[in-house]
Amino acid sequence: MIETRRKRTDLLDPFVVAQLGGIELVARGIVEGFLAGLHKSPFPGFSVEFTEDRPYQPGDELRYLDWKMLARSDRLFVKQFEEETNLRSMLVLDVSASMDWAGAEERLSKLAYAKRLVASLSLVLLRQRDATGLIAFDEEVRTMVRAGARSNHWWTLARAVEEITAGGGTAAEPALRKVTDLLRRRGLVVFVSDLLFDRPLVLRTLHFLRHRGHQVIVLHIMDPAELTLEGPPEARFEDPESGVFVTARPRELRSVYQQTVRNTIETWRSACRGGGIHYHHVLTDTPFGQVLRRLAARRSQLG
Amino acid sequence: MIGFLQPLALIALVAAAIPALLHLLGRRMPPTVVFPAVRYLTATEREHSRQLRFRNLLLLILRTAALVFLVLAAARPVARAGYGESHAPTALAVVVDNSLSSGAVVGGQRTLDTIVATAREVFSRTTAGDRLWLVFSDGIPLRKTRLEAIESLENLSPSNNRLDLGAAVRAAARAIENDPLHNGPVVIVSDLQTTALSPGEQLRARVLVWEPPARPMNRWLDSVYSQPNVWTPDGGVTASVGGSPDRPAALRLRVSGVELARTLASPGDRVVLSGSLRNTGWTVASVELDPDEMRADDRRVLALFRAEPAEVRFVPEIGGFLEEALMVLREGGRAAFGDQVFLGRVAQAGVSIVFPPSDPAMVGALNRTLNARDVTWQFETPVSGEWSLSDESGVAEGIEVYRRYRLNGAGDVFATTGGEPWLVRSGDVVLVASRMEPDWTRLPVSASFVPFVDYLINRIAAKENWIVTGSPGEVVELPVSARSMIGSRPTEVTTVPNSRRLLAPQQPGVYFLRGAGGDTVGALEVNADVRESMLQVADENQLRVAFGEESQLLESSLLLRGLFGGEGRFNLTGLFLIATLAAAVGEFVIASSGGQARKAG
Repeated sequence: MIETRRKRTDLLDPFVVAQLGGIELVARGIVEGFLAGLHKSPFPGFSVEFTEDRPYQPGDELRYLDWKMLARSDRLFVKQFEEETNLRSMLVLDVSASMDWAGAEERLSKLAYAKRLVASLSLVLLRQRDATGLIAFDEEVRTMVRAGARSNHWWTLARAVEEITAGGGTAAEPALRKVTDLLRRRGLVVFVSDLLFDRPLVLRTLHFLRHRGHQVIVLHIMDPAELTLEGPPEARFEDPESGVFVTARPRELRSVYQQTVRNTIETWRSACRGGGIHYHHVLTDTPFGQVLRRLAARRSQLG
Repeated sequence: MIGFLQPLALIALVAAAIPALLHLLGRRMPPTVVFPAVRYLTATEREHSRQLRFRNLLLLILRTAALVFLVLAAARPVARAGYGESHAPTALAVVVDNSLSSGAVVGGQRTLDTIVATAREVFSRTTAGDRLWLVFSDGIPLRKTRLEAIESLENLSPSNNRLDLGAAVRAAARAIENDPLHNGPVVIVSDLQTTALSPGEQLRARVLVWEPPARPMNRWLDSVYSQPNVWTPDGGVTASVGGSPDRPAALRLRVSGVELARTLASPGDRVVLSGSLRNTGWTVASVELDPDEMRADDRRVLALFRAEPAEVRFVPEIGGFLEEALMVLREGGRAAFGDQVFLGRVAQAGVSIVFPPSDPAMVGALNRTLNARDVTWQFETPVSGEWSLSDESGVAEGIEVYRRYRLNGAGDVFATTGGEPWLVRSGDVVLVASRMEPDWTRLPVSASFVPFVDYLINRIAAKENWIVTGSPGEVVELPVSARSMIGSRPTEVTTVPNSRRLLAPQQPGVYFLRGAGGDTVGALEVNADVRESMLQVADENQLRVAFGEESQLLESSLLLRGLFGGEGRFNLTGLFLIATLAAAVGEFVIASSGGQARKAG
């Protein structure tokens, strides 16, 4: 068992996995490993196949009422469906300058990690015949791939992901509005970012997406060093996007800094939960397979 | 008050500036680190700025304090405290005054008992590591351990000595100054008589003086002496009374335990107690006052001597001045005519007083006669000049001499002039180097002449009765003819040294002096030093004059509290090391609390 786990690419250290080759190869390896042992589609969607009826309960949508059964038995039943893999999903990737940072040489930058994660996720979605698209943004939408489900669409996506480079500042709202335009039907939005921007504006947009009926998943990418605040005894910490700097002694600030980060994460988590948004805090040293499993498990619960 | 045993170490206090300097230096040129989560840092500083400033300030204080405490600990701080339970080993001198005056009773309690109780308290404050220099009334510092000092207080009684407090304190101060241990104070536990404060060199030692209880009223016998010094058989004893209260008290003259005379006398009075001695020779007498709070000075002893006046026979060659003087003495009952003392010639037997012949040609014959009497002295060459007499008795002291014969020989010398013998004796023959004429010496025309002749015939030539007075332990000079001194028991014989100086016995009394032939030639009267009777207590100003500005007059509890005020110290080194450790631990805890890594959720 242990031997088997060792060979699974999805459970290896992300930095090690990234050494294996290009994003396509890596993503395929991750997904192969991830899907091994899974018996059905990990992401239940909304276009489904009928399986059985069940008694109507208040709150069930009337459109799923089985009218024929009502006519025959004069009793209310609603139809139960098996998923159909024609979910439309949009992956929204933050490629701002802040994402292009790694706290250690033996770790992937947040952007590199996010690119591989997005590629893997898109492959999983396409494997279950979900139409998948991509939007990469910094201050504006930098890359956009419309959702598609054809067999060679993943290569388009993978190439687009491969070509993404870090940009400048961050403005997530336009990208998320773009998603609204692209996803006419209810679908899945996966927002991958380090969330280093003003929370209220983005949250409002995310809530709007949720309000439109989309399932929204937020993947908060963070380097472990951002959690702990490492560095020389005293340093001038400079924001790569804004150029703002703060002079501080990490040793003195570490405790309260960590508390601030924990509070921020918790604020994001509670704000997302309140709006029906799935929030996942992802450190860049977390194996990709674990992240995919967490996503799949969460989706299954909510399915 | 905090002091330091290694004050030079305090120079290292400049190190206290190190944390602040490091802080300032550390602020220069910090490296730039690209960090995307600057907004978290900004938020952290915004939310915790006061806490961070407080923490940084606290760290700075703790680091500085740790260095300061460490340096202070290295300087070996000590806190001076009154009742230092622990103090550095100290050389301490304690003057315990058990002199005669300590026998005075104040408020029903003997002063010495109070002194001993206070001294015991002082000793109880010392530790085994201390070195005690104990000074009693003899004024000699003795090195004692604490236990020995306490033991020496047992059975301590008032001595007959007078304590020269000034000298005793200075000796004590020298003892502790020479002691390798840390110099402590000189503690004086005394009744603090003003008369005991003798001046001397300034003291460097701290002097703590116990404040004695109020002085009692005391009346004492100032002096007693026989007048005349030879009773024939009548005589008298002159006594003077001092002290207070100013009311009459009974005064008695006792001879051999029998009251001979009695009178009343008030302080300041000089009275004569007259009587008659039954027996010839020496008698021990005493004059006694009614007892008061201090008993030791209410009685003084003296020696009385009864003899008949000297019977003198003289030759006309002695000159008119001597003749006239002898007439005066005869009329005064101090001399009579007879064959006891021959004046002006060498008799075959008996006492002879010889002067140089007026004719120098007779000197040879005179010397041969002297030689025939086995006299060891000879008249030599005549000399002229001007010299002053140096007379042992003081009767003819300073009288000018113009002519004299040199006296050559060996024997008793009673007076000298120009450093050469002038009045000498060999056996029963007395030689005078000058004739009693104005062109030889001014003595015949001076007021001293009659007393001199009286001294010559009654004391030197015929009936010696030298009376020497002294107080216990005092150095006294005995007469030239004294060869030994008889103690309180006849078997206690003290040989008189060549210097003729010896210490008077401790016990008051009359000590007879024996001559070469075993006859009694005088007596030593030993009585308490009258200064011990004067109980006036010195005040603080007098103490400062005597012992320096640093001396303090303290009541018992303050004395004990201030005993180690300079040396009774708490060693604070350990305390400062603990403080250093506490500051360091505090710094570590606070600094570490900023560096604890916690896993974010």
